[in-house]
Amino acid sequence: MTVTLANPLREGLRLARTPEPASLVIFGASGDLTSRKLVPALYNLALQHLLPASFGVIGSARRAMTEDVFRAELHDAVAEFSRTRPINEEVWTTFARSIRYVPTPDESGFNELGRVLARVDGEIGANGNRLFYLATPPAAYEPIIRAIGAHGLRGASGWSRVVVEKPYGHDLDSAMRLTSVVQEVFREDEVFRIDHYLGKETVQNILVLRFANSIFEPIWTRQFVDHVQITAAESIGIEERAGYYDSAGAMRDIVQNHLLQLLALVGMEPPSAFDDRSVRDEKVKVLRALRQIAPEEVGELTVRGQYGQGFIGGERVVGYRDEPGVAPNSQTETYVALKCFIDNWRWEGTPFYIRTGKRLPKRSTEIAIRFRVAPHRIFTREASEGLDANELVIRIQPDEGISLTFGAKVPVQGLRIRSVNMDFGYGESFMVDAPDSYETLILDALRGDATLFTRRDEVEQQWAFVDPILAGWHAGRQELATYAAGTWGPEQADALIARDSRTWRRP
Amino acid sequence: MTVMDEAFWGARAGSIDALERELGRLRRAAVAHAKERGQALARASVLNLVVYAEREIHARRAARAVADLALRHPSRAIIVLGDRSREGVLASLQLHCHVPQSDGAQPVLYEQILARVRGDFDERVASVVIPLLVPDLPVFLWWTGTPPSDARHVDDLVTLADRLIVDSADFARADLTLPEVARLARLRVGITDLNWARLTHWRELIAQFFDVPTWRPFLDGITGIRAGFAVDMDGRDIHPSQALLLLGWMASRLGWRPVEALAPSEAGGVLFKMARSDNAAVMVRLRPRFERGLDTGDVSGVRIQAALGRESAEFVIKRAPDQRHATATAVVGGVVRAERVVPLPALGIRELLVEELAIAGNDHVYEAALAALMALA
Repeated sequence: MTVTLANPLREGLRLARTPEPASLVIFGASGDLTSRKLVPALYNLALQHLLPASFGVIGSARRAMTEDVFRAELHDAVAEFSRTRPINEEVWTTFARSIRYVPTPDESGFNELGRVLARVDGEIGANGNRLFYLATPPAAYEPIIRAIGAHGLRGASGWSRVVVEKPYGHDLDSAMRLTSVVQEVFREDEVFRIDHYLGKETVQNILVLRFANSIFEPIWTRQFVDHVQITAAESIGIEERAGYYDSAGAMRDIVQNHLLQLLALVGMEPPSAFDDRSVRDEKVKVLRALRQIAPEEVGELTVRGQYGQGFIGGERVVGYRDEPGVAPNSQTETYVALKCFIDNWRWEGTPFYIRTGKRLPKRSTEIAIRFRVAPHRIFTREASEGLDANELVIRIQPDEGISLTFGAKVPVQGLRIRSVNMDFGYGESFMVDAPDSYETLILDALRGDATLFTRRDEVEQQWAFVDPILAGWHAGRQELATYAAGTWGPEQADALIARDSRTWRRP
Repeated sequence: MTVMDEAFWGARAGSIDALERELGRLRRAAVAHAKERGQALARASVLNLVVYAEREIHARRAARAVADLALRHPSRAIIVLGDRSREGVLASLQLHCHVPQSDGAQPVLYEQILARVRGDFDERVASVVIPLLVPDLPVFLWWTGTPPSDARHVDDLVTLADRLIVDSADFARADLTLPEVARLARLRVGITDLNWARLTHWRELIAQFFDVPTWRPFLDGITGIRAGFAVDMDGRDIHPSQALLLLGWMASRLGWRPVEALAPSEAGGVLFKMARSDNAAVMVRLRPRFERGLDTGDVSGVRIQAALGRESAEFVIKRAPDQRHATATAVVGGVVRAERVVPLPALGIRELLVEELAIAGNDHVYEAALAALMALA
């Protein structure tokens, strides 16, 4: 182990540390994720001078293809999908020189990959630092990890890390099995399970809002909070993902990872430091405190729905079962609503309502903290007709921002009170293009910072919560409701929250 | 003149109270106008920006930059235009205010005030600015031109500010004015030099070489630095201040001390001998070069030479002829180990301000670079 001296020139610059020279090996290099997200993110990092001074990218997939073809395809992908356009040809040209392609249709391919890695190592002085990125369909994770082990692809020196894309398993058993395979080759601190929601600026900002300010945390408890609503609404359907989606459904696709992560960030106790261990310890604690919904409770605490035909933005769209690639009698849910409780001192008795759906009227992800009404009403009922309880809303996408509603006197003679909105928009206050979440996460993985990645015990807690609900559904304890595309979900979801004399927000 | 003035600077107001009323009226009108178009108008302010100018052309240029800036750093901008042309005339004050329209998708309301002060105004200028500041927001003072030394109005305005913005590239004699700027730092104000901001990308690129563990040891074995800076075609306008700041930065970070200033190697060039903390010599040469498309004084290239025992290395950053890119090359033991092209656009005033306004605290690294530079002079 070599000790690296500090770099005195770094002080005062944006990053305390840029990543060390390394090779990034992308498995699934001919796939969508690579061309839509990973390579555009790498290219944008290069534009911002955030990649190490010497860097190598090695793409690998089953398909035979020359390096020139691979580079040309990536060039076109960056031109189409990069957040900065047009493509800067000068920068691309030198960046593309660092890109290799090695087909791995069989075992001999992995041998060749090992040779190329060794050669690239020498050229760029990477000292054996390697980041393996699994961007393949999940069925290929285990064979690839075993091949990395069997062919000695970990460098003899330096660090090796692996990034695993979602879905990480399809239930608790499969997630644990995947972990045990991963751990044949990588230590837990070398495993970076990606949940791209955590790379979003506003999601990180939940922690800043809560723990860099002193005025919110004291009221962030059951005494002041009436309930919390977490919404992830999408207006799109399933696009070309029918094959995966029809076997997964909204619960596995969105709730198990993204929504439970948001719930953990909103509900967690203050960590003692902003580092990977402290933050993830607290997230695991709150996930552990999340009250299980037993299979026999799913009728009362959950709603599952599937969209029928309807209208989105004035266009007629087909129902889920008419989407290409979906079975005509599919029972897969495209909408989920849950009522959850966190059984701890802070949140006892405070419901967390979470919902997600496809083909809802608009795209919107937000967290709303609804506070209790003022304890004693001193204004007449008539005067306060337009008054609602205070609400703090954290908007995650689109239009990131935070707003707070409170009552104000309407400027007329006599007393009339109505709710007004104090609104903070990231866009208006900073007007900076927020970095794409993949840029943030790839950079963090190269630097070895796992704060924004999901740890083994987190993933397992998430599945442990989701599995009994899926089992209850599977046993037919909650029927699949339908909703028209372009509406806010099935009426059973409205009933779920109306039983508590509450309503869903309109995001 | 007044009609043109009002077209650019907005409605005229007779007093500060009247100005506040006028701003309130303009704000309501803008909100009503936005509502008609079905938009919400945010009145966002994250800072007070006071601009001090003594020439109308500087004031107008600043006003345009501030208007561009409003989207990123919505502010109340107070432009103080000092006019000493009529000496002896009793100080007079003319106020204009303005709620510029923005045409973006997210309309943001910001406010711009012009305070034209005439005659002997040194003593009273702060009293005009204080009531116009939005409470609780930080005050940034942007001084266009060279801040005069030992002047009452400079000290008064700087005392009000949390941060002073200057551009040492504009200083007629940077060698005389930079110490003056260092003196202002003692008034407990953070200082931003836009000329320093122009170096941020250079610093980043230089630092990156030494993030590579195998190259890091060369940082302690630097034997020479050569930097080029741009001059105009006939080589008359020589402004080495940016290149000097870059040198001051490296010297302060790496603990070098000046040994002697050697004879200029060529017209306008500077040659220094410095000593590392282990007393080995570092030869520094800053030389002017004509570069098409670069502003006078901008750094055009840096070459760092280093040796470790028998192994030598060179780290070179050179602007490409298109002036929008640079090539960063590391040569170790005579072999090119890494070479890449990175974007390095010349930044306009607006981009520089955007970056610098995001920093609220003191820039200790700049202050240290400045101090090292003073030691050289």
